[in-house]
Amino acid sequence: MLDNLLFLSAPITVSVLLAGILSYFGNHILSRGIIFIDIAVAQIAALGTMIGLLLGSAEESLNVQLISYLFTVIIIALFSLTKSRKQVIPQEAIIGIIYCIGLGLAMLLAERIPGGSNFITKTITGNLLWVTWDKVLYCFIMFLIIGIIHLIFWKHFMVISDTKNGLAYSLWKTRAYELIFYITFSIVIVKAVPVGGVFLVFTLLIAPTAAATLFTQNWKKRFIWSWIIGILGSILGMYISYTLNISNAPTIVTLLGVTVILLVFGKLASQKLRTINVKK
Amino acid sequence: MAASFDFMFASFIACLILIVIMVYFGIHVIEREIIFIDIALAQIAALGSAVSLVLDNLNIGHQHHAQEHDSRTFIAYLFCLLAAGIFTLLKNKKLKIPLEAIIGIAYAVATTSAVIILDKGAGGDVHIHDMLAGTILWVSWHQVLRLFLVVLVIGGFHYFFREKFKAVTLAYKGQDTNITNPGTWDFIFYFTFGIVIVEAVSVGGILTIFAFLIIPSSISALFATRWTMRILVGLLVGGIATILGLYLSWVMDVPCSPTIILFLAACLLLSVLFKGILKYSNLLRRKNNN
Repeated sequence: MLDNLLFLSAPITVSVLLAGILSYFGNHILSRGIIFIDIAVAQIAALGTMIGLLLGSAEESLNVQLISYLFTVIIIALFSLTKSRKQVIPQEAIIGIIYCIGLGLAMLLAERIPGGSNFITKTITGNLLWVTWDKVLYCFIMFLIIGIIHLIFWKHFMVISDTKNGLAYSLWKTRAYELIFYITFSIVIVKAVPVGGVFLVFTLLIAPTAAATLFTQNWKKRFIWSWIIGILGSILGMYISYTLNISNAPTIVTLLGVTVILLVFGKLASQKLRTINVKK
Repeated sequence: MAASFDFMFASFIACLILIVIMVYFGIHVIEREIIFIDIALAQIAALGSAVSLVLDNLNIGHQHHAQEHDSRTFIAYLFCLLAAGIFTLLKNKKLKIPLEAIIGIAYAVATTSAVIILDKGAGGDVHIHDMLAGTILWVSWHQVLRLFLVVLVIGGFHYFFREKFKAVTLAYKGQDTNITNPGTWDFIFYFTFGIVIVEAVSVGGILTIFAFLIIPSSISALFATRWTMRILVGLLVGGIATILGLYLSWVMDVPCSPTIILFLAACLLLSVLFKGILKYSNLLRRKNNN
């Protein structure tokens, strides 16, 4: 039992870290209504990693990471460029196209890399179980720095994410904050995807805040609830995956996702009941 | 050369059929701004066939091959029906989270549970790869015919009730439409869409279908506003990209679905540029006139 606990302690720590930072970002993403930006960014980051591998660098070497970051920053820049113009094609469609091209290219490259289709599966499922303590520490420091940046600007970020009331600042000030927000966001995504996989990252972003948003609109409460849900979900998912002997990242995703969908239905049902009661 | 042409003809026809129906649905999807609904539906259907694959593996030898295929499609349809119901129910203004978020979660859950399930069988990686990329190169005339019939029936249905479907889609954008029971039409829309997606994905793979759905209709949104015109523009662009993609994938010996997708993306880029130049030259002309 103690051995198992020791073996699982690094994966559990890293998934708690991921849940912490991603649930925070998820609140912003959900408020902005650009749900799929992260899955597109994640795919692009994975593509960058594959290109790095193809160029002959070792997985997780500095070169590969640099290429991955470079790709992600370019895409973020592209995305913010298309944002300012008058929309003929909706933003979501652009995100979709970026995702599609990213995955398509990744599949083309997969043919050229030995064990390529294996790599695509790995990008989907991640590599949570084999994470080392070095990596955990690295993630922790990285997330700490980004967390401090966000702590400094947290009010501004909340203002620009709430776009319902129009722009609160001048255009250039907004853009500057947007840039800081997106760059920190993409760094987190690039860091998180090789560890957790595209779908775990996506789910940790969206599912906890979606569940929290169902019940409260207050930013602070949403942060706190999404942290609780995200962290509990990861720990529980890890435990279930261990006892049932299935891959762990997919288990966490399925657990959190199904929970949210059940909660949404519960909310709908309770509203229905309330309206029936009112009518009576 | 002639042999290769013959060999690719079936996949070319299949692509054209797919593009016709996908451009039409693509316009709906883009107008509703629920871009990822299709990829979610496709993934849910794929989850359905993964489930039936495992079920078949559990009782090997009890079923014939043809029967197995039927049961697999049936379970995929069943999953689609379920998803259509969920998406219709959860389109509710009172819930504070956007429908997109739910679609995304459904997509993530469906993909990863497919991974969990396929992990249990042999050759899971290959299945996942096929699920994404599809095997459009190996399509048989039998499959093409089947696809054609499905598209014909559903396309005909949608043509017949086109005003209703249009009204539901416009209602998504907040426009007033005097349509009675929009929920039912919404459900029918999602379900017919799901059927087309199931059939299409079994031929083209999830990613190709997604590209066919989004990219041609995005291009057509740049140049046309009328629906018939948009379908024609999309068909033209899609047809060109398919021919080029199939040919190049043959010459360069690379998988054809990603090649077609990249050509579609290139077309989009070109048309955005073209549109920009058009706009700029109009601006110049107006300035000169003044």
